[in-house]
Amino acid sequence: MGKPTGFKEFVRETPAERDASLRILDWNEFHQHMPEADLRKQGARCMDCGVPFCHTGDLMANMATGCPVNNLIPEWNDLVYRGHWREALDRLHKTNNFPEFTGRVCPAPCEGSCVLGIIEPPVTIKNIECSIIDHGFEQGWVVPQPPAHRTGKTIAVVGSGPAGLAAAAQLNKAGHTVTVFERADRIGGLLMYGIPNMKLDKGVVERRVNLLSEEGVKFVTSTEIGKDIPADKLLNEFDAVILCTGATRPRDLPIPGRQLKGIHYAMEFLHANTKSLLDNGLTNGHYISAKDKRVIVIGGGDTGTDCLGTSMRHGCRSIVNFEIVPMPPQTRAPNNPWPQWPRVFKVDYGHAEVEAKWGKDPREFSIETVEFYGDEQGNVKGLKAHQVDWSKPIPGGPPFSPVPGSERTFDCDLVLLAMGFLGPESPVASQLGVALDPRSNYKAEFEKYRTSNEKVFAAGDCRRGQSLVVWAINEGRGAARECDRWLMKSTQLP
Amino acid sequence: MILSDRAAGFDRIPVSSLLACGAVHHHLVRNELRTRIGLVIESGEAREVHHHCLLVGYGADAINPYLAFEAIAHARDNGEIGPEWTDDKIVYSYRKGVANGILKVMAKMGISTLASYKGAQIFEALGLDNEVVDLCFAGTPSRIKGVGFDVLAEEAIRRHTIGYPAGEGYVGILPNPGLYHWRKTGEKHAWNPFTISEIQAAARSGDKNAYKRFAKLVNEQTSKECHLRGMLKFRKGNPIPLDQVEPASEIVKRFCTGAMSYGSISAEAHETLAIAMNRLGGKSNTGEGGEDYARFKPMSNGDSKRSAIKQVASGRFGVTSYYLTNADELQIKISQGAKPGEGGELPGKKVDKTIAATRHSTPGVGLISPPPHHDIYSIEDLSQLIFDLKNSNPSARISVKLVSEVGVGTVAAGVAKGHADNILISGHEGGTGASPLTSIKHAGLPWELGIAETHQTLVLNDLRSRVRLQTDGQLKTGRDVVIACLLGAEEFGFATAPLITLGCIMMRKCHLNTCPVGIATQDPELRKKFSGKPEHVINYLFMVAEEARELMAELGFRSIPEMVGHSEMLEFDAPADHWKAKHLDLSMVLTPATKPHEKAGTCHQISQNHGLEEVLDNELIEKAWLSLTEAKDSRFPMIIENVDRAFGTMLSHEISKRHGVEALPTDTVHIDVKGSAGQSFGAWAVHGVTLELEGDANDFVGKGLSGGRIIIYPPKNSGFAPEDNIIIGNVALYGAVHGECYFRGMAAERFCVRNSGATAVVEGVGDHGCEYMTGGIAVILGPTGRNFAAGMSGGVAFVYDPHDKLLKNCNLEMVEFEKVETEKDLKDLRDLITNHREFTGSTVAADILNDWDRALPKFRKVMPVDYKRALREMAEEEARQKAETVGLDEGDARSNVAEQATSGRM
Ligand SMILES: Cc1cc2nc3c(=O)[nH]c(=O)nc-3n(C[C@H](O)[C@H](O)[C@H](O)COP(=O)(O)OP(=O)(O)OC[C@H]3O[C@@H](n4cnc5c(N)ncnc54)[C@H](O)[C@@H]3O)c2cc1C
Ligand code: SF4
Ligand code: SF4
Repeated sequence: MGKPTGFKEFVRETPAERDASLRILDWNEFHQHMPEADLRKQGARCMDCGVPFCHTGDLMANMATGCPVNNLIPEWNDLVYRGHWREALDRLHKTNNFPEFTGRVCPAPCEGSCVLGIIEPPVTIKNIECSIIDHGFEQGWVVPQPPAHRTGKTIAVVGSGPAGLAAAAQLNKAGHTVTVFERADRIGGLLMYGIPNMKLDKGVVERRVNLLSEEGVKFVTSTEIGKDIPADKLLNEFDAVILCTGATRPRDLPIPGRQLKGIHYAMEFLHANTKSLLDNGLTNGHYISAKDKRVIVIGGGDTGTDCLGTSMRHGCRSIVNFEIVPMPPQTRAPNNPWPQWPRVFKVDYGHAEVEAKWGKDPREFSIETVEFYGDEQGNVKGLKAHQVDWSKPIPGGPPFSPVPGSERTFDCDLVLLAMGFLGPESPVASQLGVALDPRSNYKAEFEKYRTSNEKVFAAGDCRRGQSLVVWAINEGRGAARECDRWLMKSTQLP
Repeated sequence: MILSDRAAGFDRIPVSSLLACGAVHHHLVRNELRTRIGLVIESGEAREVHHHCLLVGYGADAINPYLAFEAIAHARDNGEIGPEWTDDKIVYSYRKGVANGILKVMAKMGISTLASYKGAQIFEALGLDNEVVDLCFAGTPSRIKGVGFDVLAEEAIRRHTIGYPAGEGYVGILPNPGLYHWRKTGEKHAWNPFTISEIQAAARSGDKNAYKRFAKLVNEQTSKECHLRGMLKFRKGNPIPLDQVEPASEIVKRFCTGAMSYGSISAEAHETLAIAMNRLGGKSNTGEGGEDYARFKPMSNGDSKRSAIKQVASGRFGVTSYYLTNADELQIKISQGAKPGEGGELPGKKVDKTIAATRHSTPGVGLISPPPHHDIYSIEDLSQLIFDLKNSNPSARISVKLVSEVGVGTVAAGVAKGHADNILISGHEGGTGASPLTSIKHAGLPWELGIAETHQTLVLNDLRSRVRLQTDGQLKTGRDVVIACLLGAEEFGFATAPLITLGCIMMRKCHLNTCPVGIATQDPELRKKFSGKPEHVINYLFMVAEEARELMAELGFRSIPEMVGHSEMLEFDAPADHWKAKHLDLSMVLTPATKPHEKAGTCHQISQNHGLEEVLDNELIEKAWLSLTEAKDSRFPMIIENVDRAFGTMLSHEISKRHGVEALPTDTVHIDVKGSAGQSFGAWAVHGVTLELEGDANDFVGKGLSGGRIIIYPPKNSGFAPEDNIIIGNVALYGAVHGECYFRGMAAERFCVRNSGATAVVEGVGDHGCEYMTGGIAVILGPTGRNFAAGMSGGVAFVYDPHDKLLKNCNLEMVEFEKVETEKDLKDLRDLITNHREFTGSTVAADILNDWDRALPKFRKVMPVDYKRALREMAEEEARQKAETVGLDEGDARSNVAEQATSGRM
């Protein structure tokens, strides 16, 4: 159980990231590893809590508290402390199919609820997770483990994001024959075309996809279900269908000037960039470049940050990031106690890069865009925005109101809309006869995942709404379990 | 005959070795063949101490826990433990560990040989159907019925599939079943991330909605998963308006916090609990281990850190007259729910200066509470202790803490007859993280069973109206309170929940001194992290009371006394959806109590008659009145008979009350007593009181001596040689803290047990002398019995041993012998023997003094090893500090002071 006094002896340390002003010159990962001896000390800080809140994985005050895939954190922390990397890897794989993804991109709700966090900076859980799996790959311990027997059941998984991949991996493990359909040309969903390369190297994604192929999962790319193949056809050809199509409909900003050129959804920007990067190292020009442009990113969150990081690497002239919400406090507010997700001010990689270059955090808080304006060619030239006051909600309207006289204008040549997503698109639902919930996601109960069509299950962002990679993995695993239970009448999948 | 499960494998599921063992054993017993054959169990199942205990308890003659051995060897092969762990060493060490564990369990049960433990089946089954008990465990009580062979088989199959999953390619890692640590998919725990965070939110902000969420989680979910009460539901009553129910402020007065000692939890946490309970009008509990006297004085803001309940446990740490005087309730801890029959243990590293001071012990020396109270070997002894304590503080009510186990009702009836005012039935769930693992899981029973049995028995014997009944063990919500009350309780103890409101996060690391939130730790750095406030506890308990009121209104009860024992308002709520729990039967718990006659009371109504009007102390107080009020000297004669018990105790209480811990100057009250004294002569006698008895005395002389002086010698005209005759009974000076005693003659057994600071001279002792002593000086001028100095961790004994017999009689586990040679020792010894001669006219003393140079080499100094080390360390520490301030050469100072220290006391 770690070292009983470890948390008193060692301070929290994460590996230094690559220097912010240098890393923006390339597209390589900014994440680095730390020496094994230091990692073991970090493992020693874990207190092996009687009630390990890090492992909870549930919603409290509507945000994740603890690890959503219920990683056996205290167990592998201890194993790392004692240097048993192989066993740590096995424990980690028990609950998480893709620790190399979460270890890089997860916002680590586990750390937000770590008990040590009550009195000290929490255990560096995410980094330990990442180190265990990266070490495992280095050592060649991660090898394909195809099932010994096949059940003869066939399952179609639609969408190859983390939810789809997790479902496929689990169902394959149980001996079913799984085919994953993906409309993009590469497998991985947002892991591939959402999250940029510097945060999650696409080689890391491909490595895992290859493993799954070798274990027997079939991948069909550039095939959109509902268009290229009618969804109901899947029902005839497969014993079950699992929808993992993500929440891909972006939220729009319908204000005057929205039609101007140079205003894009974040995903158009990010997707094209990664594709061009992978296809030919950004030489074909098939992407939206921010080079020498004054960029405004509307919307915070991971998507917004990724737009910042990508624009920086293009060499933008300036960049501003709008957040409609007020600036979060530096430490937990009284109504946000531990173990809830800490709603505090955080500096993500994109913010740090802007700050490193221009000495200023790019974020503007409590700001609402009201109008875009352009030049004669119809290119966006700038926008008007005003501050909002969250203490004065408008009855029957938004939970904030404009601050009189606070209107400002901002010059810009490129606007990226990163304001969230609204649920799955495409005619799949109607073709399959799957009901939607009031937020237009596929309707299926959490932990049951069964849609209104008994052969069809749904998991990930398309069921849950826009969320996290780790929740997608959790849901993919859960849907696999329920699907297996339904097909086989019982299940041993966790 | 060997019963083996070695053939277990992919297609063979083993029967539980315990079922097999019990079934065969009982079959052989039934056919009168058992004694002709040996029964060997070869099992992969037996691994924890408890498993071995069960197998032995159900007849196994030998056990081969082959998988346990193999698992350890496997750990070695994987490099988890070093290669020095040869197979032989593994087997040897594991066996030794298990044997020690079994010994400990046997000691708890008061059994001293394995032969008497074997087949004795001192267990109660919880949740087993008769068909199983009849075949395998015949004669074992199983009060709530439960699962039969079909469910056990299903369980075995489920377990087997974990080991041999049908689909392959699974990661070969066994799940952590979450027995001791919460795991999402493991065993259910009442305290989990959700209940903990909701109760903390509710307590900190006073947010009623958070409390409601907490109560809902507990009442509708975790209770069902973890507690018998979760399987009960209320019948429909005749609702009354809420405002007709007594206010929450009345209900909270019936709440107490658990007995958690200062030492096991930090001063900050302990004092916060006390302040909270005092503000509420409830009661906090010192736990075992005394209380800092500074806490008895009210604080400047009107708060008080004084714990209303003062516990008296087997260790008697810090139990002085002044301590007892400052109590509203004195609680005799017979056993603790979470560790029944087991004494507490405080590791040396937790015993810092302050804790050592309140416990009157030495910093750095671990403290063991002896498993039994050495003054209680029978229900009569208990009744004597109740009487003694009542004398030590007549205004305090006396409470006896029992643990919920089968037969507790009968014990409680005895306790009620022994004049306890209060009986606490403690449930098994009261375990702190400090409890040994075997006890967390396998000892004690739910309070639902205990309180129901106790209430029913007391009503039936018309004793219920004389006592208050209290229960504790993971009470969390108003619903829990109401159910406890309906089953017979009128007061309610909370231990874990209040600690959680103060920040405890159930680390279960209490014993490591690393509690990160400053509760179960003495580490000054960690104590700074404590962030609990009295308001948190108060908010929480008020919300509990409010919830209880709402339920009372629905059921139609206006007050707690009205509700006590109305178990007919409860019914069994079979959890139809749980494959195992649905077989339970709680009718036994729900049986209404039978009244022996119409007027028999069903809740507390009348006070016990303690007979205090008749004690001689009433006369002593009158005669010593001027000493009490004006500290003037008084000296007077008294005649005593063996029915006069606890002589001097109430007088001492009156002195403590008026003069505080300092009491009076030496010899202010001097009583010349003649006759044969009854039990507990001079119990808790304080400084300034001299009891000079010409005659003899019964058991428990100087129990808890708190500074007084006791002199006993035979009648001046008696013809026998005093040194060859017993003049005082058993267990003299048990738990004595301070004071001096001179006994001309021999003491019977267990002289100076748990003495922590008194000085005594005697002319010989029976068996077990100086057992568990932690401080003080015993001078023994004659022979000792066997097992001398067992468990002695502090203080010194000087034994006059002219015939070299001590070595044979002494238990050398914790002590060693030294010569008497330092200046201080020489002076101490000589002074004490001189006093002895002066006060008692002892000829033995006179002879030794007359021939001092020749007698001296025949004295042995018995010195506890740990104590010596701790004294040396303290001295070194002091020397270092001195050296730093004076700039003196450190080495010199150290050796100097160290020498003084090891020479005895500093
Ligand atoms: C820019 C960005 C950055 C993010 N960064 C993070 C982060 O750092 N950390 C984090 O935890 N989360 C992050 N998220 C959120 C996270 O990526 C998602 O929650 C997660 O990927 C959801 O997984 P999913 O499998 O449900 O869906 P997706 O990953 O969205 O995958 C859905 C896939 O289904 C395919 N598809 C859709 N419809 C069809 C169809 N009809 N036929 C065939 N294929 C179809 C899509 O092409 C897509 O590949 C980020 C999201 C975005 C947009
Ligand atoms: S997956 Fe995320 S939440 Fe879970 S352990 Fe890893 S970083 Fe923490
Ligand atoms: S909550 Fe933090 S300290 Fe506790 S077990 Fe989890 S990682 Fe370790």
